[in-house]
Amino acid sequence: MVRGFLQEILVSAITSIKANKLRSILTTLGIIIGVTTVIAVVSTIQGINKKVSLTFSSLGADVIYIQKFPWVMGGPQTRPGGWRRYWQRKDITLGEYNYLKKHASSIEFITPSVSYRTTLKNKDKTIEDVEIVGTGSELPKINQQDVEFGRFFTDDDVIFRRAVCVIGKDVEKNLFPNEEVLGKTLTINGLRCLIIGVLEEKGNVMGRSMDNVVVIPYTTFQKIFGYNRSFSILILSKDKDNAIEEVRFLLRNYRHVKEKDEDDFAINTSDALLKGWNELTRTIFLVMIGIASVALIVGGIGIMNIMLVSVTERTREIGIRKAIGAKNNEILLQFLTEATIISVIGGIIGIIVGILVFLLVSVIAHLPFTIPFWVIILGFLFSSIVGIFFGFYPAKVASELNPVEALRYE
Amino acid sequence: MNKNIIILRNIKKFYEMGETPYPALRGVNLDVKKGEFLCIMGPSGSGKSTLLHILGCLDKPTEGEYILENENVSEISEDKLAEIRRNKIGFVFQNFYLLPRATSEYNVTLPMIYARVPLKERILRARELLKSVGLGERLHYFPNKLSGGERQRVAIARALANNPEIILADEPTGNLDSKSGEEIMEIFMKLHKQGKTIILVTHERDIAAYSERIVHIKDGLIDFEEKVKKR
Repeated sequence: MVRGFLQEILVSAITSIKANKLRSILTTLGIIIGVTTVIAVVSTIQGINKKVSLTFSSLGADVIYIQKFPWVMGGPQTRPGGWRRYWQRKDITLGEYNYLKKHASSIEFITPSVSYRTTLKNKDKTIEDVEIVGTGSELPKINQQDVEFGRFFTDDDVIFRRAVCVIGKDVEKNLFPNEEVLGKTLTINGLRCLIIGVLEEKGNVMGRSMDNVVVIPYTTFQKIFGYNRSFSILILSKDKDNAIEEVRFLLRNYRHVKEKDEDDFAINTSDALLKGWNELTRTIFLVMIGIASVALIVGGIGIMNIMLVSVTERTREIGIRKAIGAKNNEILLQFLTEATIISVIGGIIGIIVGILVFLLVSVIAHLPFTIPFWVIILGFLFSSIVGIFFGFYPAKVASELNPVEALRYE
Repeated sequence: MNKNIIILRNIKKFYEMGETPYPALRGVNLDVKKGEFLCIMGPSGSGKSTLLHILGCLDKPTEGEYILENENVSEISEDKLAEIRRNKIGFVFQNFYLLPRATSEYNVTLPMIYARVPLKERILRARELLKSVGLGERLHYFPNKLSGGERQRVAIARALANNPEIILADEPTGNLDSKSGEEIMEIFMKLHKQGKTIILVTHERDIAAYSERIVHIKDGLIDFEEKVKKR
């Protein structure tokens, strides 16, 4: 068992921290809060990011959504009157869909889409909050979701407003458990629709099932829910940027938008949403880093304060150590080690509390529970830097005490 | 003849006290032979403690030369002074000055920690030293569980840890009853016989009588010296 000088300093630091347990823990409170914030926030944002990227991939990375409103608010739209201009926008109509379908040469697939949430029944069974989607025959090609069995509806079904529907897995399981569904009917707001297919399972995104859905021809949708709804137009193309430019040009032309005016419709893509999301998380991140830094600085000042008290209390001890041959740097190292250990203990507590907080958040918000390793390193790093930085001055004071005066100190 | 281990030439020490510096020592000349048992006596405020601090390299003289084992230590750095305290000098104080939260054993190992003595060796030596002062059974006692005499014996064991040439004692019996005081002085006598140079500050004649030579200090100057008759 070889114990070097540094270990000996460590042991003596731990001994004196143990002698003042409560004081040491209270001192580290700022550090605990700071590190907890960093760990919890970084882990949460990481978890949400993972989930969000899943959501975005389910939206289809290459799909262009023509809609009345943008997904990401901000920029020029938020200036005064911005909101009113949004609400004054004209709805996206089937006329525009037909116009784009006819003239846009860069698009591969195009479909209108409109939806409504309602409760569905089959005899004594009900399922709530089902999304009824009115769309065209090309939807499966655009959102890459085929039917598991049966068939999707055709252009003929759309043209003749046939009362047919394709249902999601959840609807099948809840309303027709252990039953053959093809050929059965489902009543949607009073209209009996023939079930012609069941969609492949898509799973959960952001805690919401993507399979709680019934897809019908958009013409049939209008028959059921009326004609005054704004559509979305979904487009899949080989060259996205090119398609966006062409669609924008055609729509502005169709809507007679003047050259100096901005678009009165929104072209949404998942990468724009991702960009908006990243901006948002960056802001949250910066705010949290700000809070964490304040907490760490406050914690550091707390450590400095308590170390100064400790140096005063232990003036005699410092004198004794010097009298028996301790050099200034050895005293400095001893007190610096103490400050750093106090701070790192706070850091460790902060890491643990941070992980617990994130565990709680991940359970409540259905986030994946993964903690990046570098976050833990970051917690250690922050707390030790704070300890060294704020512990230096008291340690310097201790090391420069005059041995004779220190010994006489009462 | 023994050569001089300590040579003081015209040592002066001034303390800053407001406008005018207060002279604690006003030109002390003193030679101490190797292995000598010397006693410094004087009334309080005479400068005897200041002199001991300078001898122990805890303090630097304002003026004058201090030659310790052929090395002029009046002008060297604080770190060098710390090394001298660590290796050549052992202190024994009136108030013992043990670390309150450390065992006897740890208190004795402390100077060896700073001297980078390996752990095993430290422990062995600390136990040996504590045994030699009669505290072999009190290794793991904390100072507050020890009597005054026992505490002072721990302090002496600590002073001997790095086997220094010189032992400096500042009123070592001042806080002890006469029986404990006698026991402590017996230990000093033993050390003297082993060849250590001992310099002891006291104002008690009985204690001074253990030494070979008494130096009387008054108002920062050596007043007179006397040889002690062998008992």
